[in-house]
Amino acid sequence: MSGQTGTELRASDAALIQKIVQRDESALAALYDRYASLLSSLLNRILRDTQAAEEILQDVFFQLWMNAAQFDPARGSLPGWLTVIARNRAISRLRRHSPSDGEELLETMVIVPANLENTIAQQQLLGRVKGALENLSTEQRAAIELAYFEGLTHSEIASRTGDPLGTVKTRIRTAVESLKRNLLL
Amino acid sequence: MNGHPIRPEDFDLYALGVLEGQEKAAIESHVPTCPECAKKLAEARGRIALLAFSAPRLEPSPTAREQLMRQVRASAESPEVQRAQRKPDRAGGFFGRWWAAAVLVPACILLLFVAGRLRNENERLSRDLAQEQATLQQRQKQLDEARHAQALLESKDTVSVALAQQPGMPKGDVRVMYNSKMGMAMCDGWVEPAPANKSYQLWLVPREGKPISAGMIEGGPINPWMVKLPQGMAAKAFAVTLEPAGGMPQPTGPMVLVGPIT
Repeated sequence: MSGQTGTELRASDAALIQKIVQRDESALAALYDRYASLLSSLLNRILRDTQAAEEILQDVFFQLWMNAAQFDPARGSLPGWLTVIARNRAISRLRRHSPSDGEELLETMVIVPANLENTIAQQQLLGRVKGALENLSTEQRAAIELAYFEGLTHSEIASRTGDPLGTVKTRIRTAVESLKRNLLL
Repeated sequence: MNGHPIRPEDFDLYALGVLEGQEKAAIESHVPTCPECAKKLAEARGRIALLAFSAPRLEPSPTAREQLMRQVRASAESPEVQRAQRKPDRAGGFFGRWWAAAVLVPACILLLFVAGRLRNENERLSRDLAQEQATLQQRQKQLDEARHAQALLESKDTVSVALAQQPGMPKGDVRVMYNSKMGMAMCDGWVEPAPANKSYQLWLVPREGKPISAGMIEGGPINPWMVKLPQGMAAKAFAVTLEPAGGMPQPTGPMVLVGPIT
């Protein structure tokens, strides 16, 4: 372990953001190295298109470069914000929504209940998330994945799977509660 | 609900994106006016964001980072802007003269007007320039990918790996062009559509260690794609397995196609 406290690690992202505001390219590169792998995995999972995934990856970090002054680290987590922005843009692209759907997220606050600022923490969380998903039934997991990675709503999932809407709602609600319980969130 | 028209569990469902109609509208109309619910929604967004960790790990290509940094450098603000700032004049007596004020005040107003017009024009030109740069970046990216594909296909170190259908498994004919030194692979061919809620996943099988995901394969004709893999890897085979929709960090399903690297 690095020996840093949670506060110091949070400040680390915040310090890099501050340097980006001062147009320090190396700070952006550092944040890219920290989070690009996570975002690339997410984008490729949603889009299944390496080129499209890298376009959005580049776009998200360029948006961070251009708008860093608007991001307030005290209001939320940078990796959470990046993840929400990346997912929103990928789903918009996948579903041919207007790209402007994601722009309002500049003001979006995301509080991640874990520290993600180093690789070890990310690996540990990966194991917890995988374990929590494995505790779901096959149907619950499929429904969660259709929602998160394909951006489907309750009724769209019901239509896709052929299950009654009420069943789908109950299944997803129970799955989310299970995830919260197993991730100890 | 304690005066808040939102059930606690709805924050997570909204962040997940499954709510629609009145349930969705209720959150979107209430949260902007309620800091307490805004915080709950932010926490729900953070919980749901953790699902990103369940995606199979896939590193971006080095090209993506290079292109980002090129784009950043191209957009960097000119230092001339800062030098253009001037210190205020401290000769207070000068401004005490009525005739100076009579001349300078209208002049300042005119200058502000002109400066405003110039700033608007500058912003418009900056937007045009950024758009042109984005287009250029996109073309550069396509060119880089084409060069990588050409280098892969022309290299004498590239091997062609034909993946053979396994008994009782869905039909398919997949070929992988693989260059261990470059750490690049390109996949094409076709495979029968996967069963419901299942996906095909391509793996590089090293001589030692765990298989490495090389991407997902849609059923039907494969749109050829390139994937970056660890360089210099001693590998023995490529394989396609049938996995839960979206893929897995490690293979869990049956092997559909396999081809040894010779």
